[in-house]
Amino acid sequence: MIAKRPRAKRAKEAATGAFALGALVPVRVVEPSDADELAAALRAANDAGEAVVLHGGGTLQGAANAPTRYDVAISTRRLDALHDYDPRDLTAGVGAGTSVAQMQRTLAEHGQFLPLDAPLASAATIGGTLAAGWAGPRRAAYGRPRDLLIGMHVALADGTLAVSGGMVVKNVTGYDMGKLYVGSHGTLAAIVRANFKVLPAPATRRLAVAPFDEDERYRAVAHAAALELEPAALLVIDGFREAPPPVQPRLVVLLEGSEPVVERATRELRSALGAAGVAETRLLDRDDAARAFQNVLDAYVARSGDASVTLLARGLPSEAALRAQRVRAAIPRAETIADLRTGDVVVRVEGARAQQARELLGRAVVLSAGPAAQIDAWGAPPSTLATMRALKEGFDPRGTLAPGRFVGGL
Amino acid sequence: MALSAFASRLRDALGPEVVRSEPEDLAVYAFDAYSEDRLPSAAIVPHDAREVAIAVRIARDCEEPVVPRGAGTGLCGGAVPTRGGLVVSFARMNRLVELDVRNRRARVQPGLINLDLSTAIAGHGIFYAPDPSSQKISTIGGNVGTNAGGAHCLSYGTTTNHVLGIEYVDAAGDLHRTSIDEAGYDLTGVMVGSEGTLGIITEVDVRLLKLPEAVRVCVAAFADVESASEAVSAIIGAGIVPTALEIMDALITRAVEAHYHAGYPENAGAVLLVELAGASDDVAAGEASLAKIARAHGALSWRAARDQAERDLLWAARKGAAGAMGRIAPNYYIQDACVPRTRLPAVMHRIDAIAREHALPVGNVFHAGDGNLHPLLIFDRREPRQVQAVIDAGTEILQTCIEMGGTISGEHGIGYEKRETLSLVFSADDLATMGKVRDVFDPLRGLNPDKIFPAGAVCGEVRSA
Repeated sequence: MIAKRPRAKRAKEAATGAFALGALVPVRVVEPSDADELAAALRAANDAGEAVVLHGGGTLQGAANAPTRYDVAISTRRLDALHDYDPRDLTAGVGAGTSVAQMQRTLAEHGQFLPLDAPLASAATIGGTLAAGWAGPRRAAYGRPRDLLIGMHVALADGTLAVSGGMVVKNVTGYDMGKLYVGSHGTLAAIVRANFKVLPAPATRRLAVAPFDEDERYRAVAHAAALELEPAALLVIDGFREAPPPVQPRLVVLLEGSEPVVERATRELRSALGAAGVAETRLLDRDDAARAFQNVLDAYVARSGDASVTLLARGLPSEAALRAQRVRAAIPRAETIADLRTGDVVVRVEGARAQQARELLGRAVVLSAGPAAQIDAWGAPPSTLATMRALKEGFDPRGTLAPGRFVGGL
Repeated sequence: MALSAFASRLRDALGPEVVRSEPEDLAVYAFDAYSEDRLPSAAIVPHDAREVAIAVRIARDCEEPVVPRGAGTGLCGGAVPTRGGLVVSFARMNRLVELDVRNRRARVQPGLINLDLSTAIAGHGIFYAPDPSSQKISTIGGNVGTNAGGAHCLSYGTTTNHVLGIEYVDAAGDLHRTSIDEAGYDLTGVMVGSEGTLGIITEVDVRLLKLPEAVRVCVAAFADVESASEAVSAIIGAGIVPTALEIMDALITRAVEAHYHAGYPENAGAVLLVELAGASDDVAAGEASLAKIARAHGALSWRAARDQAERDLLWAARKGAAGAMGRIAPNYYIQDACVPRTRLPAVMHRIDAIAREHALPVGNVFHAGDGNLHPLLIFDRREPRQVQAVIDAGTEILQTCIEMGGTISGEHGIGYEKRETLSLVFSADDLATMGKVRDVFDPLRGLNPDKIFPAGAVCGEVRSA
């Protein structure tokens, strides 16, 4: 289908300043109200040789390089319709501009949830979270956002609207195109709508916070990693005082499930940590637990100053604590989160130390960087960059979509 | 017989132990579980990725297509060399290369048999979740090619959710490795389910799961498939996701019992097989609520397997259902489609009507919890009118599923069989967008031609061997 011409009512235009990226401010901001308007705006820019950056809530815009060219910002803010949600099917299709928090509220009314783990969930959008390839701590328990995605609608740079997948939970009909768009940082296509399989919400939720002394660290980490009833999230946090409570270092353990299982897991956790010499485990329940866990997630993109840089390194769960420790040992005041279930290591340092932290971690990408920080968001490109470059040229031959934002200058 | 130039180049490069080129040796590579067959010009049984790469380069030079092959259990002709060329068999590349128990991941060769992986690692308290019914013979590589499903997708997801990275030989014969944890486009994700049209997979990194603390398998009897389907819709709607929810109708149940004696209620109109797995507290409580919902929707009986042996037998019988039908039906045609789960009762009713209109007996055995249907249309291949009736009924079933918001393949793939049907689901623009990916990976259409894409649509198959 060829995108329709914009209707008499033009897509709304908004102020440009809030959409600046690096030193670049777009000439105009377009806020389309549906897929056709978005496609038309894209096609117009593509025809005119203008560069476009898609914007959701802006919460992860720091996790990519500033574009090399930038003329038009397209905000997905108004693409916030709930298109298709029958709770009895455990599937939902939503507009890309829907906020993650709004989506969670809608699902919660029916006892369901979508474990996206987005930082700043009230501002973060579904489309932005997917485009950024965000995958948080609970993915070990529930899968990554890409694994919960069952269908996607996108607009290509030339205004073509294309669909892949569908509204069923098992589907091998054609290529799994959604996988390509997720994590592509808006460089291949604009996400218009996403379909998910959703999950029944856990009956209860508990966040346990256990501060420990340095001499207890090794045993506390080892015992927590060996729990029989595995937590939904298991983090060792050093620093990041904005993630409550501001004690440190501490283990943050999210337990989710039925009441009896969460109770049993709590007893197991207390006994395992007690055996490691950790005296106290504070518990937060239900909404308090959810709020506190959201605050932890928010810390992943929070800055500690104008030049702070937060890096994310993926890796093996068994190595996360040690990798974090190596960074703290080498860099004074480095703050770290070691995710013992997924293997993620998150490191926040002063900009001047960011390169050193990246070298210590091997590979790491930027999650958040202050305006004064100077660092490439991606580091060394993967060995398959040539194939990725060919994909970019195939999908966006004129370099309209977010030029230069992605790894290797894609 | 004189060797073709292509076969002799392969033989010179890889030796006679790797290359097959005599017609009697090639016959086994001519077909899979679909009805079409064609002899390839040559086949190789390589030891490693390097040999695959060499063969792909030679095939490219000789303008011969390349078709990867696992165990040949595919039902849609995905492994049939429809244009001859080279078949790459992974029978020798069947090793578990690395196992990391602590981090629950393994690196395997594509020819490793699905069940062999779980068996090899069971002693460590971990398992590989995707379990297509063919798992005793089908390979991980083939499973990755079709993004295979299985009975336990309901809670564990399909193959793609368990692939962390791959190594592949591209259309030019170069070797690459991908990881879902690296920055960049998710080449792993788009490669899974691409049925050998984007690259030849030579190694797979898989995610393993911890074995559940408790498992319970229960069987409920219903008067008919519709009421069993309604019970399934109600279970999902109540927010309970067991690890498996499978339905077999009376025809299938009787065939299965005749062979396995697993203890399924033979007089029921339909049986529902339920598996719950997880923490022991949850499994016990879950069974109680499921039994209650099932009874409220007409379950005539509810029984839990007593022990592991009984559970294993119930599963063996369920996974052997298609095979058991083969023993009582002259021929059958198994369809694969998926609908939203609330539409199950309606679609089952409609399939029954379609089969009646075409005077074909139909058996239903399916992954009800996922809305993934497998009607088996029974016919006699020697009767041309019955063959046509099966084709027509199959198409009507697919159209019904699309009308109900579903799709034309839940887990078997598109392959050769369903490629023309793909345009019932997707627009020309949708297919052209997928074609862009094909253009990047395989511009000359040398990798598994004639598969997935409708003939002559967006990416006309340019070459013929």
